[in-house]
Amino acid sequence: MFVPLRWLRETPRHLLVCERSHVRHERSRHASHVRDHAFNCRVSFLIPDCGIVPEAFKSAVAGLGEYYLVKNLSLHELVTEEFINTFVKKGSCYALTYNTRIDQDNTAALLPTGKLILSVDKDTYEELGLQGHPSRYSGKKPMRYIITLDLSESTFGPDSKKHKRIIWALKEKKPLEFDFLLAWHHTGSEESILMSYFSKNQIQALQPKVTFSTLRNVQCPVLDNNKLKGEPEAACSAQEFFEWLGAILSCVGLENTPSSFLSTYSCPQPSTFVEQVLLCTITGFILPEKIICLLEQICCYFEEPKLAHWISLVVHGFADSPVSWRECEHGFLKGGENLYNLVIFRSLDYWLQMAVGAHDDCP
Amino acid sequence: MVRFKNRYFLCEIISDDSRFQQCLDERAVHNTVKNVIARMHGDFGLACCSIAFSVKYLNAYTGIVLLCCRKDFHRLLWSSLPFITYLESRNQRYPCSFNTLHVGATIRTCQKFLIHYNSNQLLALLRNCTSEADRQAIQESVQSCMFVEEEQFHSKDEESDDSMQMA
Amino acid sequence: MIESGDDKGFKPASYERIVLKNASEYYYLKIYLEFQEVGISLNAVEFKQLIISALKRLHGEVGAALPVDVLSYEEKTLLAILRVPITGLVKLWSALTLLDSYQNRKCAFRVIQTSPFLLALAGNSRELVLD
Repeated sequence: MFVPLRWLRETPRHLLVCERSHVRHERSRHASHVRDHAFNCRVSFLIPDCGIVPEAFKSAVAGLGEYYLVKNLSLHELVTEEFINTFVKKGSCYALTYNTRIDQDNTAALLPTGKLILSVDKDTYEELGLQGHPSRYSGKKPMRYIITLDLSESTFGPDSKKHKRIIWALKEKKPLEFDFLLAWHHTGSEESILMSYFSKNQIQALQPKVTFSTLRNVQCPVLDNNKLKGEPEAACSAQEFFEWLGAILSCVGLENTPSSFLSTYSCPQPSTFVEQVLLCTITGFILPEKIICLLEQICCYFEEPKLAHWISLVVHGFADSPVSWRECEHGFLKGGENLYNLVIFRSLDYWLQMAVGAHDDCP
Repeated sequence: MVRFKNRYFLCEIISDDSRFQQCLDERAVHNTVKNVIARMHGDFGLACCSIAFSVKYLNAYTGIVLLCCRKDFHRLLWSSLPFITYLESRNQRYPCSFNTLHVGATIRTCQKFLIHYNSNQLLALLRNCTSEADRQAIQESVQSCMFVEEEQFHSKDEESDDSMQMA
Repeated sequence: MIESGDDKGFKPASYERIVLKNASEYYYLKIYLEFQEVGISLNAVEFKQLIISALKRLHGEVGAALPVDVLSYEEKTLLAILRVPITGLVKLWSALTLLDSYQNRKCAFRVIQTSPFLLALAGNSRELVLD
């Protein structure tokens, strides 16, 4: 329909899912939500009323482990028998194409479950000749296709017809080359196997970048762990808190009057002044396993009596990854946001806030 | 059948200025309305409203004007009309205001409304008039207008307008 | 707009889930201003005035009345975060796109990132530069 004036007011759909439960609750799903969000580019945590970085956090941050950037890696290398046996089947292997855009380029991602997901445009899809399905968000005339290859499947043997065809398609029919971000999480043996395995390619080991900073005299909203929706005069809602957190992380001024010319944003009420807030930001290719370690440290932090009422852990996903949570398809449209925030209260109750944009499933 | 849908605005131009009637022409109204849309809704609004925008009918005696624009954008035009404060003609500004009487989908419905409106106005005049001569004149014009309505469609609003003048 | 799926089957009030669909009132944009020449600086007030004049040009006085907030602004890099009511996003974005000059000097607004969540602007994976 031609309704230009309505288009002028229309905005893409977005979702904010808030969950509340207890960390130690046996059926709590927070850990699985963290684990299912495979590709994380930035993790930040915020500890109010904390001046110096606790030792436990320092070591946890130091132990995040390195990740690798492999340049010009042919995609067929990820489906070879050798790679699958050395990495995919032992531990969890994460791979994501680097510097590719989900809305214009071909992208690929390897999930720890052994699924290799390719998001390709129509031409590439037709050239490849592998079975896939049209993207959910590409409308009536699909221009983007999703191919899912299960590498850990038992029928995916070296002599199977399927395997041969995939190798042929990726090696001869339509060779695809990407820069990959790689990481491998496993128990036992040393880390550098990935490095030596890809020694023929240009491989680089990278450490996550960590910054600590202390913010002084911050206006903090008052939260009540039992009231997600907040209560007027008593506690702020989860949504208000989510916005406030954004303001803190993007260094936005909180003290504006309603008549101010520049900005009218102010801290949600009721609020208290906190003398110092510790903010730690980690950027890189961060594995969910490491985030769970950090989460454990936060829970341990509250074992001794502390001034802080809560700690917040913010995780940003890759805007250009073909999946967000689990194997749910992810698209970009206007922002490609997929992020979550965990607020751990002193009583170990938690709030989990998951936000996604227009081209995403409800997590 | 698919057709372009239009909206017609039947407006009354109100002004206290006595010289106003002489300067009222289609071009002045056209420019005034376009200027106000440009002011209120900017380049975008002006471009939207310019599609099929025209002054379909203008009666300088009564100040009745019929404007036309595409249905998709009629809200832009509608919301701009109250902001007209003057009419510019031959480098002279005459203070005036637009009173929207009716918004219709066809010229026919606007015409029907106008006849109805004018006869109502006449009746109101009849009720409030003071001298006997006036009463006679108004009664006559009301009758004539009724008669014409039954007989044929056009030219009667010309007539009723004239009768307004007489009154 | 709000659907509440309280899963209170196993233990009352120990688990709560709310799905907020399209609940954000505002949209956030991260933008920067690019000049053809170098060495032009604007303060925050001039910057906001420029945005309002862009809105006024494309969408008139109705557009200029849109409550745009400049949440943060850096004078050195001309980088800013804007907040706009969600129904005004298209108006603001189009006005920014079509702005071409500031005091007769050619310039352009570049929209880096947009999101209905301010928190999403804190981490942009497309800006992740390695090595």
